[in-house]
Amino acid sequence: MAKKPSSTKSGGAAVSVSAKDKKTLGSLRVLADEVVDCAEKGRAPHLDVPSRSLSNVRFNKSKRFLEMGSGTNRRELFNLSQAKAYMQTLLISSGCKRLIEEGKTTSLRGLYYMLKHSIEGTKEETFDDQADSDTIIEDVEVTLNSLREEMHLYASNRGNLVGPITLVDSGDEIDCTRMGSAGYSIPSICEPDVIQFKKCTAKFILHVEKDTVWRRFAEDKFWLKHNCLVTHGGGQPPRGVRRLLHRLHKELNLPVYCLLDNDPWGYYIYSVLKQGSINLAFESVRMGIPEAKYIGLRSKDFDRCQLSNSVKINLNDQDVKRAKQIAEYPWFKDKKAWQKEIQTMLGNGFKLEVESLISKDISYVTEEYVPARLEDQDWLD
Amino acid sequence: MKRTPAKSPPVRTAAKKPTEADEADEVAVIDEAETNGEAPAAEKAASRPSTKRRATAESMAAGQRDISVSEFFAKNRHLLGFDNPRKALLTTVKEAVDNSLDACEEAGILPEVWVHIEMTGENRYKVGIQDNGPGIVKAQIPNIFGKLLYGSKFHRLRMSRGQQGIGISAAGMYGVLTTGKPVKIVSCIGKKGKSHDLHYFELQIDTRKNKPEILNGKGEGEDIPFGADGDKFLAKHGVEWKAAKDGTVAHNGTSVTIELEAKYQRGRGSVDEYLEQTAIANPHVTLHYKDPDGKEYHYDRAAEQLPPEPKEILPHPYGIELGNLVTMLQATKAPTLSQFLTSSFSRVSSSKASDVCEAAKLSTRANPARIGRHDGELLYQSLQKAKIPPPATDCISPIGVPLLLKGLHHVVPAEFYVADTRPPTVYRGNPFVIETALAYGGSSAAVKISLEALTEMLGETDARTLRQFLINGFNGIGGDAADKILTEAEFGNRTSPSKLKPAEIAKLHAAMRNVNLEEGQTMNVLRYANRVPLQFQPGACAITQSIMGTNWRAYGLSQSRGGLPSGPVTIMVHIASVWVPFTSESKEAVASYPEIQKEIRLGLQAVGRKLAMFVRKRMKVKQEGERRNVFLRYLGEVAGAVNEINGRDKKKLYDMLLKVAKRKTEQADIKLDDQGRVIKRAEEDEYGDNVLIVKQDEPETPPAATEAAAAGLKKTKEKGTGKAGR
Repeated sequence: MAKKPSSTKSGGAAVSVSAKDKKTLGSLRVLADEVVDCAEKGRAPHLDVPSRSLSNVRFNKSKRFLEMGSGTNRRELFNLSQAKAYMQTLLISSGCKRLIEEGKTTSLRGLYYMLKHSIEGTKEETFDDQADSDTIIEDVEVTLNSLREEMHLYASNRGNLVGPITLVDSGDEIDCTRMGSAGYSIPSICEPDVIQFKKCTAKFILHVEKDTVWRRFAEDKFWLKHNCLVTHGGGQPPRGVRRLLHRLHKELNLPVYCLLDNDPWGYYIYSVLKQGSINLAFESVRMGIPEAKYIGLRSKDFDRCQLSNSVKINLNDQDVKRAKQIAEYPWFKDKKAWQKEIQTMLGNGFKLEVESLISKDISYVTEEYVPARLEDQDWLD
Repeated sequence: MKRTPAKSPPVRTAAKKPTEADEADEVAVIDEAETNGEAPAAEKAASRPSTKRRATAESMAAGQRDISVSEFFAKNRHLLGFDNPRKALLTTVKEAVDNSLDACEEAGILPEVWVHIEMTGENRYKVGIQDNGPGIVKAQIPNIFGKLLYGSKFHRLRMSRGQQGIGISAAGMYGVLTTGKPVKIVSCIGKKGKSHDLHYFELQIDTRKNKPEILNGKGEGEDIPFGADGDKFLAKHGVEWKAAKDGTVAHNGTSVTIELEAKYQRGRGSVDEYLEQTAIANPHVTLHYKDPDGKEYHYDRAAEQLPPEPKEILPHPYGIELGNLVTMLQATKAPTLSQFLTSSFSRVSSSKASDVCEAAKLSTRANPARIGRHDGELLYQSLQKAKIPPPATDCISPIGVPLLLKGLHHVVPAEFYVADTRPPTVYRGNPFVIETALAYGGSSAAVKISLEALTEMLGETDARTLRQFLINGFNGIGGDAADKILTEAEFGNRTSPSKLKPAEIAKLHAAMRNVNLEEGQTMNVLRYANRVPLQFQPGACAITQSIMGTNWRAYGLSQSRGGLPSGPVTIMVHIASVWVPFTSESKEAVASYPEIQKEIRLGLQAVGRKLAMFVRKRMKVKQEGERRNVFLRYLGEVAGAVNEINGRDKKKLYDMLLKVAKRKTEQADIKLDDQGRVIKRAEEDEYGDNVLIVKQDEPETPPAATEAAAAGLKKTKEKGTGKAGR
């Protein structure tokens, strides 16, 4: 950190510091002052990081999304197992402070490289890999109660959108029906100050699990036939996709239907979209879509669609374990249909990917499967 | 007919010899009588295939004759430790030094011994050993040095280094056999007599008669005057004689010079090692040693007191055999059986004697000489059955815990020393004491060896592979450690040590220094019997077996199943007894009597428990240190980050955090013990007695022992330096 060129205080006049940034800077400062305070009093410095585990997550039944509890984990400098994490937390904080002051944003990976160096006199690196810094960033987010974007950080883009909507992204007007074969790439920050919706004629949103399936729907112009938006999140949807879906749902009143793989992984993607993730429970308010529906694939689809044996993928031990775990989550626990769904899958002993429907016909999924489900309103809630 | 005389009789003779030293003739006669009895049967079987007799009883009888002990041992010299030239050198030094120490101690003189090995030709060395002992009476010199099985130590039950009276004369015999040069003895019995003259003998052993042959002074030896003339005379005869320091009074003592075919080699099983180990177990001895390269080593005594003189004891009834008893009965001068028992055995009181007689249905007043075989057996059995207290133990003088610690510390550099002396116990009626001492920590010789010394060692080793060289040449390097070193130095396992180029040697040297040997190090075992180091046949020895049979994992060392534990440990086991049961005449290994094994085990456990405390504590300190390190590593980063955010002074913050870190870890140092009390006793108290702890950060003079093992070979100006002077 010391290698940073002169501080922004001298040349900082050019950088406009927004009110939001001021608030973030303030909380960063509090964080640092506490360290000095402790040291001066001869006490061991520590941080209280809100806990981001299942135990500190509460399912709010009336609001129908996950809320973070008040539980915190104490992170101490003078604790063998926490010392490094403590150091990393402060490093990230200092990195964010620099970004804000210089009025720049960077990717998570950028920040990782910005702060990665070997600790003086050792061969040890401050961060071993990006996963290291990513978790710490999330820790700082919850500790400061500031969002990632408020710390001038963004993630790499993941997820695409196609459909009859025109939006303004950073001042550019974009018609999402005319974005070529790849569609509109959903940015990692989808706050109203970045993206505004201008015009939308779509009636609903179909969110699919991954790019390959999305391509099928885009190529078949599903969105045109059914007057909808089709999105994907490349597996577990990143925060940008979730935030955009949330805003589309809330601001434009578009119902969200999900087409995901029939496996624990798919179930959990649905769960995250619907009530928020355990890891980032503090973001659920801004991202959860409690009304989202799960239209497929279902455990019964193997028989219902008369799929061939060859598309079965056997459940492994991990799948079984995860499925049982998901069944136990409070927000699945009370839903009989979901319990039955999970039990059926476990009974089947295999999982199904959305792509397996291609074995019937290339466009089976867009021409028959999804329209039929929508028609029959056959979905899980 | 008949067996050839070469086979069976000699073996019998040899076996009996130790008990009946000078009565060789009788024994041989008995043997002959026995063999005659069996002869016809053997003859029938043997004669069948050939019709013509190859030899007759008469012709064979012509070839049948006595075998002298000397002849027997000249042929079977491996039994005495002369199997190869290298070992011969060691055995020679060892026998001479052992005799010197025994003599000095018996005379109440603090021993000082000079050992000088000189190369006189290809594979030929001249060994000179001199002591400051009482000297030897002129008339006895030839017998002591020129006759096998002649000595004072065999017949008495008393702890001494020598036992049989074979050693030094065998060494002389070996010398004469291999080089033809006589044994040269100088002795002076000191101030009491008027004459301060030295007696000078040149001897050789007549192997056929087992009799000394005096070569000089017309078979009488020579008296040489003390002073310049005498010195000149001795110098001319190639004998060294160190005069007393004041120069006026003749220096009493004995010097023996033997020239023999030998091989000098450093490392394990070497003379250097023997002397070093002798210094450990005999802290009251001063040793001067000049090796063939002219380097001098001085092991100064660490204790000014002689060990208490061991008393001679009578045999204990439990340790006696029927045959012995019968012989004793015949030989005794006691008029009655009761008197015989009380006067010939230890711990037999007159009331005990009458109990024994009663049990054997013999009269206490019976004449011992008239007791026949049958009654003798009854007497023997009742003696074995009677409850007789164990023998007195003042016949043994153990080294004692303080001297064990001192001796070990003197020679083996380590951090932690612990010693234990077991109470005396008895095997087969012979009292014995087991002493154990252990040194833990410190780095091994391999780490400290100099490049020149390594080059030298590589040049003279006969190991075939580098791996073997490392394992055999250095204490504390086991197979694992050797492999590690070789991997580090990027050598193959089978590289020959003699063909290394200088650059490769440097590489090996660097690897030896860099590799952390602590884990791959195997325990270094020092075995002693009556203060004499045992350097060979570790596998056959009860001491090694007991060490391997002990579970060292319980004491914080790692140990593979059935092997020696590993770690930077030196363990010393000393068995002191009036009669140490060796497995062979060359006195290389202690026989495994259950009583002895049990005592060794208990002794090992005693030091092991203390070691465990130390190892655990050290582990904790180490962890604490690591802990502190981890914190220190991150403090700079933390201070930097804080500075970045709020602009506070980085250095000041760092110092403040450092202070907190130190306090935090210090607190952990004095954490509560198992019972929740604050531990703040002094370190030494914690371990109880028998422990010596050397703080590693204390400045210490370079450890002599490792230098000796690593043999820093600078030939120049080495006089009086480096050795054991701490």
